[in-house]
Amino acid sequence: MNLIAFLSFTILIITILTLVFGVIAYFLYKAREQKKSTKEISYQDMTKKLGSKYIFLTDTVSLKSQDEES
Amino acid sequence: MQKIAIILLLTVLVFVAGYSFYDLVHTEIQSGFVQFSIVLIVGFTLIIIIRYITLIYFSILKNVQKTRDDVEPRICTEKVTILVPAFNEEMVIEASIESLLVQTYPYIEVLVIDDGSKDRTYEYAKRFEHVDGYKSVKALTKPNGGKSRALNFGIENCSGELIMVVDADSKLEPDAVELLVQSFTSPEIAAVAGSVSVINRGNTWANLQALEYIEGLNMVRNAQAFLKLVNIIPGPIGMFRRSALEEVGGYDHDTYAEDCDLTLKLIAEGYKIDFEPDAIAYTEAPEDLLDLIKQRYRWTRGILQAIRKHKEYLFNWRKRTSTSFVLWYMLFEAIFWPFMDFWSSVFFIYISATTGLSSLIVYWWAMFTVLDMAGALYCLLVTKEQLKLVFYAILYRLYFIGIINVSKIFATIEEWFNIEMSWGKLERKGRI
Repeated sequence: MNLIAFLSFTILIITILTLVFGVIAYFLYKAREQKKSTKEISYQDMTKKLGSKYIFLTDTVSLKSQDEES
Repeated sequence: MQKIAIILLLTVLVFVAGYSFYDLVHTEIQSGFVQFSIVLIVGFTLIIIIRYITLIYFSILKNVQKTRDDVEPRICTEKVTILVPAFNEEMVIEASIESLLVQTYPYIEVLVIDDGSKDRTYEYAKRFEHVDGYKSVKALTKPNGGKSRALNFGIENCSGELIMVVDADSKLEPDAVELLVQSFTSPEIAAVAGSVSVINRGNTWANLQALEYIEGLNMVRNAQAFLKLVNIIPGPIGMFRRSALEEVGGYDHDTYAEDCDLTLKLIAEGYKIDFEPDAIAYTEAPEDLLDLIKQRYRWTRGILQAIRKHKEYLFNWRKRTSTSFVLWYMLFEAIFWPFMDFWSSVFFIYISATTGLSSLIVYWWAMFTVLDMAGALYCLLVTKEQLKLVFYAILYRLYFIGIINVSKIFATIEEWFNIEMSWGKLERKGRI
């Protein structure tokens, strides 16, 4: 068995996988940071934003329309 | 003597591998483009070899110099203020302060600056407040404004002639402060860096970083210290002369590598920066890949921001030789090396796909692995670290540096296009 050929093949495959994995890992990191930077909002902030005393656990559209009506 | 013999032997092996590589290329490849590329890669490889050998040589000289100077220890009475900037560090702040309280140096003022934490960092730090003879601990809090502002706030409120900056997630060896103070042997020395060691060894990522810190950071700083031109005072352990800090206006807020920026400002003012290898700080290294990428992304962009900020010195090598030299070196490490490394890998894949001459990749990989292992062996022997880490040099070259280089390249591109970034604080595991 040709050792150099075997090592060449192994290192070549690892190099390809490393580069591909490096790119994937970078975009995974970016996606994670993007997700983290989504602004968290507190109950108080939400009620203030909506201008109502309570938040009704209905869908956003109906909540908005109720709020606008009041 | 044995160490030098091992290094010489490994160096010879590197040259044999390099010659075999050149010989193979010269005889088997005819295409002009490919030959040009190979010449480029061989040139790059030679620069790296020279870099490694020069750094190891300077490091040896620095060790010899240090051994000679250790004969006459200096009596020090300067008061040292230790600044601990902290933002959401409740997991580690107590261990960090405890390690400062057991320092052998007697004249210490510990100042914890809570940078508007949302957790109980300030409360935990406040519990340590006391004055005990020459030692004291004080906790201050301020609205969140970033590390550089927290440090400037600390500088304004401290009383020490020497100012030590440590990260809240680092833990010092008991003699660290004493050793750093000893290094301020002349008024020209504005700052002294200490060694950073990874404490949370256990998984492969942390072990690879442990080796990287020993070989890639501490050994490099030791070599740079031979010229008294250490280019980055690390966040976990560094000491500054207060007068020098005030002269350059303290920390600026316009880069994400405020430590690097400050060091460059001091070098540009003509100050010397030293390194004390025996003053050790332990730090928590990221344990998973995404956190590691996050850290390296910030380091790369921060360093590039600092280089850009001081770019006028790049071509001012006649008047500011040392600053220019340091900046070119940093540019080489931050941009040229990762790009060339990445490009070489892509090129070898291309060569293998088109000509089948894939054995080149083995020679290239072997050369760098031998270099890494030689460097690692030297550093591990000198620092009396675990010798098993030398085998991580294989994994380091096999995939670790490849993955890191990809993120460095993306960080460089994003910095080039001025894409917005945030600090990217790492979550602590509380291992210190």
